[in-house]
Order: sequence, then structure tokens, then C-alpha cells
Amino acid sequence: METIKSAFDFSDFPRIDLIIAGAVLIFLLTFPLFPLSSFAMVTMIQFLMFSLYGMGWNTIGGYGGQVDLGKAQYVGIGAYTTSVMLIRWDIPFWISMPIGVCFAVGWSFIIGYPLFRLKGHYFAIATIATSLVLKDLFESWNFVGAAMGLEISPIKYNPPDFLRLIFKDDIYYYYILLWFFLVGILYINWFRKSQLGFQLRSIKDNEDVARSLGINVRWSKVKTYAIATAFVSVVGSFHACYIKNIEPEDTMSLTISIMIALMAMLGGAGSLWGPIIGAGVLIPLKSYLKEWLGATAGLVGIDLVIYALIIMIISAFEPRGIWGIVEKVRRRKRN
Amino acid sequence: MDILLSSLAAGLLIGMVLAIVALGLTIIFGVMDIVNFAHGEFLMIGMYTGLLTAQSTGMDPLFTLPVAAIVGFLLGVLCYFGFIKFLLRGPMIAQLLGTFGLMLFLRNLALLIFGSEDRAVHHGILVGKSFDIGMSIIIPATKLAAAGLSVVAFWGIWLLMNRTKIGKALTATSLNAQGARYMGIPTERMNALAWGIGVGSVTVAGALIVNFWSVNPFIGLLFTMIAFAIVALGGFGSVPGAFFAGIVVGMITEIPGFWDFFTYTFNLEWMANVPMTSLKYMWVYLAYFLIMVFRPRGLFGWKQ
Amino acid sequence: MPLLEIHHITKDFGGLRANDDISFSLEKEELVGLIGPNGAGKTTLFNCISGLYPLTSGQIFFDGEDITELKAHEVARRGMARTFQVYVASGNLTVKENVMVGCFMNTRSRFQAGDHAKEILKDLRLKDLSEYLVSELPGAAQKRVAMATALGTNPKLLLLDEVAAGLNPSEIEEIMITIKHIHNELGVTVVLIEHVMELVMKVSDRVVVLDSGQKISDGKPMTIAKDPRVIKAYLGERYVKEHAEELG
Repeated sequence: METIKSAFDFSDFPRIDLIIAGAVLIFLLTFPLFPLSSFAMVTMIQFLMFSLYGMGWNTIGGYGGQVDLGKAQYVGIGAYTTSVMLIRWDIPFWISMPIGVCFAVGWSFIIGYPLFRLKGHYFAIATIATSLVLKDLFESWNFVGAAMGLEISPIKYNPPDFLRLIFKDDIYYYYILLWFFLVGILYINWFRKSQLGFQLRSIKDNEDVARSLGINVRWSKVKTYAIATAFVSVVGSFHACYIKNIEPEDTMSLTISIMIALMAMLGGAGSLWGPIIGAGVLIPLKSYLKEWLGATAGLVGIDLVIYALIIMIISAFEPRGIWGIVEKVRRRKRN
Repeated sequence: MDILLSSLAAGLLIGMVLAIVALGLTIIFGVMDIVNFAHGEFLMIGMYTGLLTAQSTGMDPLFTLPVAAIVGFLLGVLCYFGFIKFLLRGPMIAQLLGTFGLMLFLRNLALLIFGSEDRAVHHGILVGKSFDIGMSIIIPATKLAAAGLSVVAFWGIWLLMNRTKIGKALTATSLNAQGARYMGIPTERMNALAWGIGVGSVTVAGALIVNFWSVNPFIGLLFTMIAFAIVALGGFGSVPGAFFAGIVVGMITEIPGFWDFFTYTFNLEWMANVPMTSLKYMWVYLAYFLIMVFRPRGLFGWKQ
Repeated sequence: MPLLEIHHITKDFGGLRANDDISFSLEKEELVGLIGPNGAGKTTLFNCISGLYPLTSGQIFFDGEDITELKAHEVARRGMARTFQVYVASGNLTVKENVMVGCFMNTRSRFQAGDHAKEILKDLRLKDLSEYLVSELPGAAQKRVAMATALGTNPKLLLLDEVAAGLNPSEIEEIMITIKHIHNELGVTVVLIEHVMELVMKVSDRVVVLDSGQKISDGKPMTIAKDPRVIKAYLGERYVKEHAEELG
């Protein structure tokens, strides 16, 4: 009961934040009812997906301060579990998704324990290594279609199919994902005020001090890593049903891992709104840059060049991200 | 047996070349603790530089090394003053993501300029020639030359770091930046120098590799990861470590080829289903993970 | 039964012996000062006792239990808390949040932790600073926050590492009142590493003196102040020889 109360309690935010959040919420709820291009809808779905990825990452990467650049492997576990179970045994999403989470979390405990012996750069690179190991394995594993991947053909099923999450119209996907999004926000809101959340923030500050306060540092990190993994796996499963065509290069590449961390960082790692703001800025930016510039003949890649420049500029000049700027300004005003 | 020796020889040669790919990374990391995701992209730039210089001037590709070195050095210094310098002020995550941005930037710039098709060296005194040193070991001349030049480069860098005043200043900065500053060593310039040498050595590596490996804008990442594995195994910051670790990693990538042959010859069907060759880099990543978790110091490194 | 007993603690770092065969014991509700020149091994001793460093040899008993092999967080959970000489405040947490981290050791409920933290903050006269980030506070307040955080764990034993360092006389007075309060009203046993002599001598029931890794004296403040070994440790052998007459 107390957990639920805590999840819905946003009272420690200034009123203006809550008003803006409310407005955004209304926008998100009503968005698909306006006539709009399918492109906008796809962008919004991507926004929700990456917000969720980012929120999950943020638990260990933002609040915990452990820069994890290997989350893509869990996207893959979630996505492949759902795909394989649907294609081979006709198992619906709502069963395959939790199973995917179990696999993902299980794997995260196996590699998490040794992984957290490392810190800083070494930890970050090791997370990349583990993700690439898994990706290479999947690329050679015939059971999951190796490099060709798997394809879910919607004609075999009768959309709209709520059990298997097969739809013809994006709007169904949108609202289901939005529901996950809201649950995710409530969860993180609970998390940041929970015992584990406080423990992590103490760990990020100074590990020895944390230990002296009775915190089992390694175990706390591993637990949080598992939470982040669960988030990512859920969205991965959704991704499989939405995109319907998955392959290791798309779902488990380093680029995906970095995008996840990037959104959270640029928006403001270690804050509730940060990953959402980050995704909210970067996803539309990436999509529209591609639309306007990428398709121009002879200029393939220029959208990514500009995108990369933006990443570089923000990393160099405002590493605390957008939310970090907001908080800085607020503290200055208060003092 | 012959195949085993052949694999070992191939591993040794490629290892020596991979070692010089990693050399730049270990120098930069040693001096300023920054992990450079864009490392492989500089290699890619070196490859294009070598290729295009050779094609446009008609020079043999192997003689383009000095050009690649100069281009790399200047590029490294430019990157430092233009970007890396600012990253160093921020938290580690910003540095990681910043160099990732640099990677994306260079990769897509290359895509824009060169297009996505593979390009390779076709003319040159050593291209297409090989040595047969008996025991059925056939060594492509280009690989042999590359390995040889790599050893020369390593020796040169080692001399630079340990025998010259400027090299010692660099080593001092990497051991203790603040202490070095108190001794009057200008950290900024050392950092820039480290980047210059670091990038310069990897572009030279690129100019060597392009003689037997075709280039496209996307090959950077693979080499970045291999370089990370080598640097971790050899010890972050250790020049001789990078050399020996490079050889080890080179072996790791060639052994699977032998494994496939082994299982095929002996009709070990069930083992043959494991496609070792296509997994050859996976072993490198796995090795990295295991080393870091169980022996983070690597072979010779002092940083942890 | 003594609350803390350390038997022959030795801690080596490679070739350097930082703690050399140190033994002493501590009764409940004592307030013991731990002094000695810089580099004597005081903080190392704290790190050994609190479980941050593994011992090279020796044993530690806390409340009757052998805690020698326990890790730092396990020791903390048995009722031993501490502060650190260099308290790193990263601007991450507010004063109240800091104390809550301590309180969270004994509860999973955010509301209980919050209430407990509020009590402690009121007790230590930090209530008005609750919402400030620790990094925004002056040094003296930061030290009190560190003590408040440690108190959040409801410790039986509190190890304070140079909480008076760098403070001006009125701040030292404040800290002394706080320490006395923790000791007298809250009944916590305290060990205090200090260089500010007036503080140590005034509040301690007993003083232990370290020099070059070894325990050289252990007794009431006035007694050890006159101990020639202690004087020599601080002033140096030559000074003592030259001023032998005045020192008596």
C-alpha cells in the first residue's frame, strides 16, 4: 500500500513541473485523435519506446552512476523470446514478454555479479563487450535465424490481435505502449524514493561512505542492473511485435546501447524527467533530420553528421543534460 | 599440423599489426584517462589516406606511411584542441558519449565523402606476392611487410617514450598528471602530443592494413573493440603490453580458423556446427571481459 | 563486557606497516580520544576496525562477536558507524536525504526513514538546513551532517574522524556540544580521532595515543599529557632533549 502511495506521490516537485507534466500527459493521451501523418505516429511511438529504455537505464546509469553501455543485449533477449515463442509455438505477447524478462534478468544476474567488480571506464567497456558477445552469438545461431533474423508475418494472424499484439494500425500500438510508459513513470517515481534508490544515490556519491552506512554496494548495483534490464526487455518484446522484423544488427548493436544511454544523459541522468526529455528532443530531431536531409541524393549520412555534432557539443558543454541546466538555474535563483 | 602452424603464423603476423592499432589507444589512455570510441574511425581514415595517396600519386602503398603519419598527427592535435580538451572537464559519461559522437561524426562524414562501397589496394610491389617458407606455410608479402613495419614502429615509439626528453615528459604525465605539472611539464601540450602520436600511429596502422584488408566507412567499430581488448589485456598505458597482447589477440582470431579445419578433417560433425570462424571476434570480446574481471591489471599495466 | 576489543591489530601496505600490534578495549558509553602525530595510523586503524581494510593480523570483537572477517557493510549493520575525514559531498543529496540514507539501514519504508531523519535533524539543530544540498553548506555544517547521517543507523559505537579539522573556535565549540550530546544524551559510545587538543582533552574519558603505527599510551587525558613518550612523539626527540629541564 505504501508503495502505491509513494508511486503516485509527486508532491516533491514544484507546481510548475506538475502543470507541464500534466499538459504533456494530456497531449500524449489525445495525440492520435488528431489527423496526422503516419510519420509523426511512428516518431511518437519511437519516443515512447526510447523514453522507457532510458528510464530503465537511468536507474543504474543515472541514479547509480554506473555507465552501462550494453543494454542492447537485453533488447535482443526480450525481442527474440517474444518472436520465437510466437512464430514457433504461437504463444501470445502477454506470456512471452514476462518470460523474456525472466531470461533477461537471469542473464543480468549471471554477468552482473562479476561485472560490478569493475568501475568507471572499465565497467563501461566490459558492458559493451558482453553485449557484443551476445550479438555475435545470435548472429551465428540458426535457431533464431542467425544474421537474417526473424520475421513475424501479420497475415498469418487476424489483426487486431490483442493477445499477440499484432495490429494493422499504429494507434493500437501507441496506446498500449503509452500504458507501459505511464506505469514506467510511476515505477521510477517509487524507485527514486525507495530504500534502493537512496542507497544507489549514496553509492554514486561515495562508495566507502555508503558501505559505512550498512549498504551492500555490489548487491545494490546488481539488483538495480536487473531492474534496468527488465525495463529494456519489456520494450524489446514490444519492439518485436511492432516492427515484426528483427535481426541482431538492428536490435542488439552497440548503436542501440549508446542511444539508450545518450537519451538519458542528454535529458539529464539521475532525474525522473531526464530520460523523457532526452528522448523527446533527440528522437524527433533524428527523425526529422533524416526526413529533410537524409533522403537528398548524394547526401546520405549528413543527417547523422549533424546529429553527431549535436551530441558532441552537448557532451562537451553541458554534460549534466537539459534537466541539469534547469536544476542549476533553479538553485541559483533560490540562493 | 601444417594448418596449425599456418594459423599460428597468420595469427602472429596479424597480431603484430593489431598491436600497432592498439598502441595509439594505450598512449592516449595512459596520458589522460579518456576512452576514445572514435579510435577505429581514425584507423579507417588512415586506410583511406593510404589508399588515396597511393592511387593519386601512383606511389606504392607502403610508401604512403609518412603521409598517413603526418595526417594522423595533425588530425589528433586538431581533435584535441578542437574538442577533446572540453570533454576532459566533464564527467566520465560525457567523455564516453562525446567520443561516441566523434565516432558517428567521422564515420558518417566518410560515408558522405567516399560512399559505402568497399575499396581495396590493387597495385603495389608486394600486392599479390607471397612467401612460401616451407611446412606449407604461405605468407602474403603485404602482411609480412606490415608486421615488420609494425615492429619498427613499436620500437620507434618505445625509444621515443623512454629515451627522449619529450617522451619521458609524456610518461611522467601519464603516471601522475598533477605531479608532472608541478615539475613544469605543460599538461595541455602533453595531452595534445599524446593525441597526435596516438592518432598518428593508428593512421599509420591503417595505411599498413589497407594493403590486405578492404576499407569502407563502417569497419572502424570492429577495430575499436579489438583495440580495447588488446589494451585491456596488455594493461592500460603499457606500450610493451600492447605489443604482446596484440599478438595474443591476433592468435585468438586465427585459431578458430584452425578449429574449423580440425573439426572438418576429423569429422567431428557435432563440433563443426559451432561456426567458430564467424565467431572469431566474439572470443576477443569474451577474453576482454574475463581479463577485466579476473585480472584487471593485464599483463604489464599499472593503472586500474 | 567491553563493547569493542581490538587484539594485536597489524596492518601492512606492502612494505609499510601502518598499524603495528595495536590492542585496546572500550567499555560501553565511554568517550575515547585517539590522537597522535600525522601519519601515526589513526585513520588506518578506523578503517581496519570498521571493516574497510582487511587485517594483516589481529582480531576485533564488537559486543562480544568476532567481527574480524566481516565486510564494512556488515560491521555497520552490527551497530558501528563512522564519519570520514574527507567527506565527499557531490551535490547529489540534500541534508535530509543524506540522513535518510543512514536511516534506511534499519527500515525499508520511506516514511519511517523520513520521520527518523527529521528527529535527528532537529536534535542536532540542522532542521533549518534540511533542504540544502550538502555541497552548498560551510565545512562545519557538513561535518554535523556527516554525524547526523551516521546517527541515522542507530549505532552503538560511533567513530568520528577529525570532525573539528579546519574549524574556527566557535565552530569547535558547536561540534563539542554536539559530540557531548551524542555521548551523554543519546548514550552512544564514541571514539574520536582529533588533532584539536582542546576538544579531545575536554570531552574524552580516556585517550589512546598512536605514533608510527604503534600504541604508545593509554589513559586519562591529564595523565597522557604528561607522558614523556607522548611528548616526544609530538615534539620530536631532539626538542625534548634540549628542553628536558622545562618539561620536567
